[in-house]
Amino acid sequence: MNLFIIWFLTGMAICMTVHGMWKGRGKSHHGKGGHKHGSFLSVDYFAYASEMRKWNASFKMIFAMVCLLLCILLNNIYVSIAVILMMGYLTVVIGGLSFSHYLSMLTVPVVFLIFGTVAIALGFSLDPVGQYRLHVLNLFYIYCSDASLLKAGQLVFKAFGAVSALYMMTLTTPLSELIVVLRKAHIPKVLIELMNMIYRYLFIMMDTHSRMKHSAEARLGYVDFKTSCYSFGQVAGNLLIVSLKRGTDYYNALEARCYDGDLRFLEEKKPLKRSQIVMAAVFVVLLLAIWKITTTS
Amino acid sequence: MFKKKGKMSILAFALLVMMAVAPVANAMHVMEGFLPVSHCLLWGAVCIPFLVLGIRNIQKTLKDNRKTLTVLALTGAFVFVLSSLKIPSVTGSCSHMTGTGLGAILFGPCVTSVLGLIVLVFQAVLLAHGGLTTLGANCFSMAIAGPILAYFVYKILKGMNVNKKVTVFLAAFLGDLFTYCVTSVELAIAYPSEVGGFGASLTKFLGIFATTQVPLAIIEGILTVVIVIGLETYAKTELKCLEF
Repeated sequence: MNLFIIWFLTGMAICMTVHGMWKGRGKSHHGKGGHKHGSFLSVDYFAYASEMRKWNASFKMIFAMVCLLLCILLNNIYVSIAVILMMGYLTVVIGGLSFSHYLSMLTVPVVFLIFGTVAIALGFSLDPVGQYRLHVLNLFYIYCSDASLLKAGQLVFKAFGAVSALYMMTLTTPLSELIVVLRKAHIPKVLIELMNMIYRYLFIMMDTHSRMKHSAEARLGYVDFKTSCYSFGQVAGNLLIVSLKRGTDYYNALEARCYDGDLRFLEEKKPLKRSQIVMAAVFVVLLLAIWKITTTS
Repeated sequence: MFKKKGKMSILAFALLVMMAVAPVANAMHVMEGFLPVSHCLLWGAVCIPFLVLGIRNIQKTLKDNRKTLTVLALTGAFVFVLSSLKIPSVTGSCSHMTGTGLGAILFGPCVTSVLGLIVLVFQAVLLAHGGLTTLGANCFSMAIAGPILAYFVYKILKGMNVNKKVTVFLAAFLGDLFTYCVTSVELAIAYPSEVGGFGASLTKFLGIFATTQVPLAIIEGILTVVIVIGLETYAKTELKCLEF
């Protein structure tokens, strides 16, 4: 029965790849140059550029969370593989994110994941215990067992499935739309307002910071460790001062535009398509079926 | 002999780092999917009272003075930017500040818990650091436990009239370390060792974190001192409105 599932998953992967190639035919790779927007802005950029941005944000969020929870709850390697394939398919083929960008986005969590599982799989002891052990420098033992290795393997797939579901959501939905979903879920208004404003200020602050850092660098602010500590602190402190001063200006600007304690943003209407709901429902049933088949056999 | 054993465990942990387990410690958040659902819910539940208190606190302040909203939002953005900056480090590894110690000193633990929550959500969504299911666990260690300790250390030492620089340094340093201790506890509860159970696992995770985090915590302490000094020199009036 397990063999059947493996063939099924392979078939799924092949179908997805074929569809991806068919969809991508004749398309010029305009994003080939790649953009390293310095760290975190790239997720935001990809989310805005994604084709899946047209999808209803609440639907995407609920679908991603259901898949994420199924990965963690069922703790089944086949379910996780199915989720990884599906989420990759949605983000890359439907969403139109280039595969190399998707991979480079995934490398960060994967590296953390591998080292994290190594730390969990291995144990350290002064006494010879465990199934496999390595005696290091006649001092202590690093040990592990089949059970712990299996557990670690399961963990890798479980966490990777969960991460890919999260990525599907974040790489196709801009943060501002996610905040709208949270607002509809009746999260306290203060939190929503703060989130909206913080999100907007982030870009201004990053920009201000990079300018300050450049000018400090131009004045040899980061020549050695001691100076860089000092410069870092100065720049960070200065950033806070500048932002505190701006805080008053921003408030005045809000007041000038009739701010009465309620921030409203334009929300685009994104109707939910029946085919999307069917797709999601079929996929969730499929996951449950895979889980049922693999656990009973 | 006993003394030698103590040295052995130190060596053992040094070796762990060489095996490049270090990146995990630098990640500093519990990753998405690493905790079972029951743990996620439990840590989330632990956070709720603190967050409710924090939100109430903010709402009260806002009622008195609506202007604080923009200041709060900017400080939240500041904490996010601070925690996403690469700090100068000796090894050249990519390490970040938590920034929560500074937040607790400047704005108090209640406000920091709420801002910390938002920052963690943003880190999960924009940087893929941490995750949404592990939000409760991360929130407890980074936005609640660490800042509360930092705040109390700061208040107590300030009451005892200790040198300001030493006070700020210790508050940030201990707050940072405590964050990692709590993270280790969270991981050890979820993944107890086969031999020795929770205790052995806790020592393992603490050991991994200690080797990389102690130097980082020291750097964070120094940086916080530099920031606070900078603030005191140039922004006395602004700090007054934060009741610093």
